[in-house]
Amino acid sequence: MQFNSTRQGMAWLHTWLGLILGFVLMVCFFFGALSVFDREIDRWAIPETRFDPQPMPSFDNLLMGVFERIEPDEAEYNRMMPKYHDASAGEMTPRLELPADEYWAYTTHRDPVLRMGAGFRVPFPADTEGHNHIHGNTTIDPRTGASVPDHHLKIGSEWFYPLHYSLNINWNFLGFFIVGIAGFFMLVALISGVWIHRKIFRELFTFRRHKSKQRSILDMHNMTGVVALPFHFFFAFTGLIIFVAFYYMPVTNTMLEPLHSAQQEIEAQEMGLPHERAGIAAPMASVDAMVAEAKRRWAARDMAGEVGFLQMHHVGDRNAYVSIYRAGSDRVALVGEGIHFNGVTGEVLREDPPHSLAESIGDFLAGLHLQHFEHWFLRWLYVIGGLLGCACIATGFMFFVEKRKQQHAKAGSQGSRVVDAFAVTTVTGMVIAAIAMLIANRFIPAATEGKGEIEKIVFWSVWALSFLHAAWRSAPVALAKSNPAWKEQTMLIALLGVVAVIANWISTGDHLIKTIFTDPYWAVAGVDLSLLAGSLIALLTVKKMSAMNETQSKQEAGQEEIATGETAYE
Amino acid sequence: MNEAAWLTIAFVLMLLAMSWFALSLKSHWKQVTDGKPASRILRSLGWFCVMLSGLACLQADHASMAVLVWAMLSATAAFIVGQVLSYRPTLLRPLALFRA
Repeated sequence: MQFNSTRQGMAWLHTWLGLILGFVLMVCFFFGALSVFDREIDRWAIPETRFDPQPMPSFDNLLMGVFERIEPDEAEYNRMMPKYHDASAGEMTPRLELPADEYWAYTTHRDPVLRMGAGFRVPFPADTEGHNHIHGNTTIDPRTGASVPDHHLKIGSEWFYPLHYSLNINWNFLGFFIVGIAGFFMLVALISGVWIHRKIFRELFTFRRHKSKQRSILDMHNMTGVVALPFHFFFAFTGLIIFVAFYYMPVTNTMLEPLHSAQQEIEAQEMGLPHERAGIAAPMASVDAMVAEAKRRWAARDMAGEVGFLQMHHVGDRNAYVSIYRAGSDRVALVGEGIHFNGVTGEVLREDPPHSLAESIGDFLAGLHLQHFEHWFLRWLYVIGGLLGCACIATGFMFFVEKRKQQHAKAGSQGSRVVDAFAVTTVTGMVIAAIAMLIANRFIPAATEGKGEIEKIVFWSVWALSFLHAAWRSAPVALAKSNPAWKEQTMLIALLGVVAVIANWISTGDHLIKTIFTDPYWAVAGVDLSLLAGSLIALLTVKKMSAMNETQSKQEAGQEEIATGETAYE
Repeated sequence: MNEAAWLTIAFVLMLLAMSWFALSLKSHWKQVTDGKPASRILRSLGWFCVMLSGLACLQADHASMAVLVWAMLSATAAFIVGQVLSYRPTLLRPLALFRA
């Protein structure tokens, strides 16, 4: 490749990296924006959990009983137990007889329900140093301790949220790595984009929508990219930081396993927290008393707060200890200010020391991305940032096609036609798939076994169908015209948004008048209002596209007249 | 004063700042009114409002949070001003002070 200038080289880089990875980045940005309100989408999708967020309930009176009910996951047991178990040492322990070794519970200021889990010990471990666990998780209503059915998928926090960092492709963590590569090249695209942009400040506010389609699309691409440049940069960057050890140093569980284990042991020793079980059974002290003491110590440090995460290690053993972390709802940095207690005596074993400057910077960077803080206004600003990112990528695709389709039409190439079909699928198809999933969630009866699995199938199938539709309708692009699939799918978004809101109303009785005025419940009202806003924007876009197509066909008709006129002269 | 009030003030200040930044550019000034802008004054006014907006953010939140709100407000406000200039540029006429 030969370039006459650096700018030309940068333009080439920006165009092709942007095109290839833009499809992935679009998923990251769109579902990332939805993840800002993942818990609220969960409430919409699981109506049984539509009540107010609750603080961590009493451990002694409520949680302990729930922990004791948790069973090891059957699939995980079948898959992992034969690997963890040392057959020469004895019989494989049946699933329901595995002894619990670890309990945890996690909540945030936005969670009405409480997530809990237990780790079960393997009595005859093949790897005695490995501390391998078979896990079991549950979600409960913290007011009563009743379980929320497992087959109800938390569409926000268990589908949209992981989609934005793993594409939900879990096979060999492939999705994570694809997103990692895309995130890295997002930074490259930002830098090269700034480089090739001639008038970054002079045209910051410029959107010439009356000029040619190509000009107005490029203006919008530049504007959405540049005004939110700090957001785009920091979210791609902090996303990489959060997964940095995983992306770039995935060796702690393979090549460096012995070193990793040794390090953990030394750390535990330094912290004074027992790394191993003593092997001697002992009764547990009151955890509620430990929680009260932890809260007292936080308050004494002028950072009074609620418990966010609570973990009991070596359950039922003389070496048991309990770690209690603070919910970080009042600050950006994810710290936790952990306080650790002896599980048998209830004494404080250790208070986590304040973090060093480097650690604090890391806490802040991870915290600004993961947003555990309580700040509704900033959450909405993040959504706006995410949607500006989507607009930037979408207009990038459109510009790619607009710039080339005349040339391609003359040369008989199908290039822009293919890109355009993929663009339709990633821009409108993705939105349709997400809303279709929500609608399916409201139509499938709550008692249906495997309800969540069906919803996932609906999501992928609808997305695949949107691609088939876009490909089937794409022929005009090869003739330098526009793909009617854009308009048709946008129209479908407008329709589906309204259908979803009505489906919620019919299936739960929660309409907007109720959720806003008579019995306010903003989590559900917010999702409904966002769906309606999406519909409205889609409708306005359809109107705009119709107007544009009309002027275009008039222009074309005009040109044809001129052309026929010219032939008449000849 | 409560948090919501300070955040509203911060947002309005950021909108003013972005409007004056835009008006300091000849091409946008022409969309709004005639003549030429006193670019330097308008730009200084813009920076002044950006600073004030930051101070308002600090009144509402802990410094680490305020920085994020401030940065995100600047992005949102710049986008809004860009759209206003494209659809209803005359809305900015009252701010077209300081002609050159």
